[in-house]
Amino acid sequence: MRKLILFTLITAVCWFAVDSANADELRVPQNAVAGQPISIGLSGNGNGTLFLIGQGQIIKREVKLGNDLQIKGEELRSAGRWIAILRSGGASQSQAFWVQPGSPENLNFLARPSRVPVNQQGAISGTVFLFDKFNNWVLQPTPVNFSLSVKGSGVTRAVTSRNGVAWIETSSAAREGAAQFVASVGSASVRRVIQQVASQPCNLRMHVSQRTRDRIIVETDPVRDCTGNAVPDGTIVTFTQNEKTGRSTVDARIKKGIARAELPASDNAMVSVAAGYTLGNELRVGGR
Amino acid sequence: MKAARILVLSLGVVLAISGAVPLLTRILADSKPNIAVNFDNAGPREVEDTTQKAIVRDYSLAWQAMTTALANNDSAPLRQNFVGFALDQFVQRVKDQQGAGIKTRIIDHGHKVDAIFYSKDGSAMQLRDTASIETQVLEGDKVVHSDQAQIQYYAVMTSAEDRWKLRVLESSPEK
Repeated sequence: MRKLILFTLITAVCWFAVDSANADELRVPQNAVAGQPISIGLSGNGNGTLFLIGQGQIIKREVKLGNDLQIKGEELRSAGRWIAILRSGGASQSQAFWVQPGSPENLNFLARPSRVPVNQQGAISGTVFLFDKFNNWVLQPTPVNFSLSVKGSGVTRAVTSRNGVAWIETSSAAREGAAQFVASVGSASVRRVIQQVASQPCNLRMHVSQRTRDRIIVETDPVRDCTGNAVPDGTIVTFTQNEKTGRSTVDARIKKGIARAELPASDNAMVSVAAGYTLGNELRVGGR
Repeated sequence: MKAARILVLSLGVVLAISGAVPLLTRILADSKPNIAVNFDNAGPREVEDTTQKAIVRDYSLAWQAMTTALANNDSAPLRQNFVGFALDQFVQRVKDQQGAGIKTRIIDHGHKVDAIFYSKDGSAMQLRDTASIETQVLEGDKVVHSDQAQIQYYAVMTSAEDRWKLRVLESSPEK
């Protein structure tokens, strides 16, 4: 009786071992990278259907068990968590695996603002998001080079990305012009243009350019900011004439670098000039 | 006799509750993911109160839209809350699901989110989300895969016309 039980047990164990050896088995890759080929191990007998489900992609294949399935690099586009599901003979088994993004090839570069006054502390910011060629977000730390230059001079800075983002904050240059703001990683680079314009007028001065019996014409010297950049045409300059009988105000636009206004002639008046929050000189005019 | 009636009635009530509770849980889970966002570590810009509320609302809506889209193989809900690469990815996923004859049911058990970057100009925010998610893959009506996992996601939300939209979403192994 004991021999019979022992024989039965041994038979059962062997049967189980053979069955286990022939059972469908799914082996997923451990270090998959988007854009690189992978192999899915499929042991067992018969046919089945394999689903590979990624975040932005699904691959479905009719498979013959016992042969490994090769997935080409160009087919594996989506990074992140994948689920492999093998359907065979009414049963299914599944496993999750990870696909890493490829090396950074695309940069998403946000440069702000598009127009900025010169000499402003921390006025310009650049933010880069790194993506591989399939637009998977590259979260591994990666050095990113930023350069900001205008008329041949500028600054360059290297920043290592953190969680897929690299950013800098920098000041605008002292010279006006179209600044080239470039972010680059390896051979990939993206260029943005930031228009640097003159800042507030500085040392605003005016003089009487013409005087007749009924009117006087006042005009400014060329209007510049504190670093010598010409304030753009169209900027408003306000001339104010104060006299005993009242006040006259003229808003004039800068044209060809100079603002000009025509005021009524007066026996005794004080004329002042201002642009933005910059006050210019005052002139006393009198005598018709 | 009266005791028997009470017993039957009680059993009926228990049965009704046992049926209703999971149903209610599922409905609530489908309709509004539980999302808690910590904005304390966001920088370089401080997150404004109104932005905090908008991010919580719109990130939650994005997950809800994704869940609906993948469950019904319909990309329409995505367009309200997704933009850019994330929209392209999930539209493609829905298309592939239709081609493969499968659907994905996501049972959302909640998100612990940290805002880790808020751009200087206030136009983009990066989130790190530890999501507890149950994923069921259905072939026809049959569940062919089910797993429950805690998955770490990185997301970028950008301000759009009247809301924040999910521009990038990527899962990553937890470090």
